[in-house]
Amino acid sequence: MSPTRPLILLPPSGKRQVTVMDFIYAQKLEEALDALRSQAGRAKVLAGGTDLMIQIARGEKQPQALIFIGQLKDDLATISLSQDGYLNIGALVTHRQICADRHIQANYPALATASASVGGWQTQSVGTLAGNICNASPAADTIPPLLVHEAVVTVQSAARGLRDVLLEHFITGRRQIAIENDEMVVGITLAPPPADTADAYLKVGRRKAMEVAIAGLAMRLTMAGPETVGELRVATCATGPVSRRASEVEALFSGQKLTNELVTQGASLLGRMIQPIDDTRASAEYRKLVIPKLFRGAVLECLAKLGIAISGLEKS
Amino acid sequence: MKINLKVNGILEEVEVDASAVLLDVLRDKLHLTGTKEGCREGECGACTVLIDGQPVDSCLYSAAAAANAEIETVEGISANGLSAIQKAMVEEGGIQCGFCTPGIVMTLTALLRQNADPTPQDVAVALNGNICRCTGYSRIVSATLKAAKNAMAQKAGDAHA
Ligand SMILES: Cc1cc2nc3c(=O)[nH]c(=O)nc-3n(C[C@@H](O)[C@@H](O)[C@H](O)COP(=O)(O)OP(=O)(O)OC[C@H]3O[C@@H](n4cnc5c(N)ncnc54)[C@H](O)[C@@H]3O)c2cc1C
Ligand code: FES
Ligand code: FES
Repeated sequence: MSPTRPLILLPPSGKRQVTVMDFIYAQKLEEALDALRSQAGRAKVLAGGTDLMIQIARGEKQPQALIFIGQLKDDLATISLSQDGYLNIGALVTHRQICADRHIQANYPALATASASVGGWQTQSVGTLAGNICNASPAADTIPPLLVHEAVVTVQSAARGLRDVLLEHFITGRRQIAIENDEMVVGITLAPPPADTADAYLKVGRRKAMEVAIAGLAMRLTMAGPETVGELRVATCATGPVSRRASEVEALFSGQKLTNELVTQGASLLGRMIQPIDDTRASAEYRKLVIPKLFRGAVLECLAKLGIAISGLEKS
Repeated sequence: MKINLKVNGILEEVEVDASAVLLDVLRDKLHLTGTKEGCREGECGACTVLIDGQPVDSCLYSAAAAANAEIETVEGISANGLSAIQKAMVEEGGIQCGFCTPGIVMTLTALLRQNADPTPQDVAVALNGNICRCTGYSRIVSATLKAAKNAMAQKAGDAHA
């Protein structure tokens, strides 16, 4: 207790007594992996802490130890491009770095948009992309854009080395991920998008800035001809317990001529498919109404980015 | 656990709980009460400090994680009198109740270091994580532009001298 407050007997409201016993500074990746193995499930990895520190303060998570990986920046805070165009985003890359990265802005703008919408500057300066997916909130903004680009998550452990998992398989449920106690995420990889491809991320919140999504939608559209769709991919967040691609909607579009009717059909099918809930941010009914609008908006945004105008296809 | 925090250039050894947040250590142990506690959940930005030059909500940043980093609080940037942005905030009337001010000053300090000539839109985006319930922000924006203009004019003056 501080010398200036000797008379306070109870912790001030909001300051809960929590019992994290150990704080482990990993100086090397191997040290983090060894600590994870020896803690055998009692420890949590701490990156920016924008989710974990609040969860600990609220008593929602009670790890006995924190393994701080923030000093592994040389290994994990880098964005690198391989010879064959694959982009690797290290586990400590922050939302701020994502928004500022030229290659991401040019090739995966939906991801840059999503990271730019995560909280304010304060959250983005320390909050990481890997933390966002590991926390696996149904409203996590970066998950839909990563899903439409078929991101691969690289996980490492001291015992078994490296392992790649498709993000789609990595996120198994609301706040649940396919990771063993002794493993941590070391990076996320994105394949180069094909030619004639554009993407978009659209989000609805209560206010313009700093708001967790009421609903979010990412799309990636690849055209095969002037009006013919090669492939359309779509994923949503805050519309159910887990963010997923909507494969039935995607199937409607593949190889088809893009018309206003088709977009309307896809939008309404997507609205019927999602299973949102009522919560403090919005009702399920509102979410079912807004998602079809986001779908149409995303098609229009992708077409605009591709410089394609299709007659009869306008905002409704 | 004992940690070393470098706050405003001074190294301080403090005893902290492994789950302590930086805000509590700054206010309760180091008595740097310029940093304010509002929501304690990262929503309001009243607790903003700079860690290695970047604005961070100290209410949800681990104190232990901040060891070995450069931490700056509002006390640090006004050690030699009010800074340029603080002066401009006073002159432009960017302060009413003042509770948000230290956090806003810290965010704007980071902005002006990274962007010497921000647009009103740049300022608005930078302030996404700082809530002010009094001023309506427009005077805070004009204060920022004024501080930037003054700094640029001074730099130009220095170059001619
Ligand atoms: C005010 C505020 C607003 C926010 N707004 C949004 C928003 O609009 N949209 C949104 O999507 N999110 C939002 N968030 C949450 C967002 O900041 C986090 O999800 C962030 O991206 C998590 O990264 P972190 O580094 O802070 O993770 P941490 O809090 O450090 O960790 C989060 C979880 O992931 C685990 N973890 C972290 N890194 C690894 C790793 N490498 N390997 C294995 N496990 C790991 C941790 O153990 C923990 O369980 C907001 C948060 C705040 C405080
Ligand atoms: S007290 Fe930290 S953001 Fe409100
Ligand atoms: S001046 Fe009162 S909250 Fe900003």
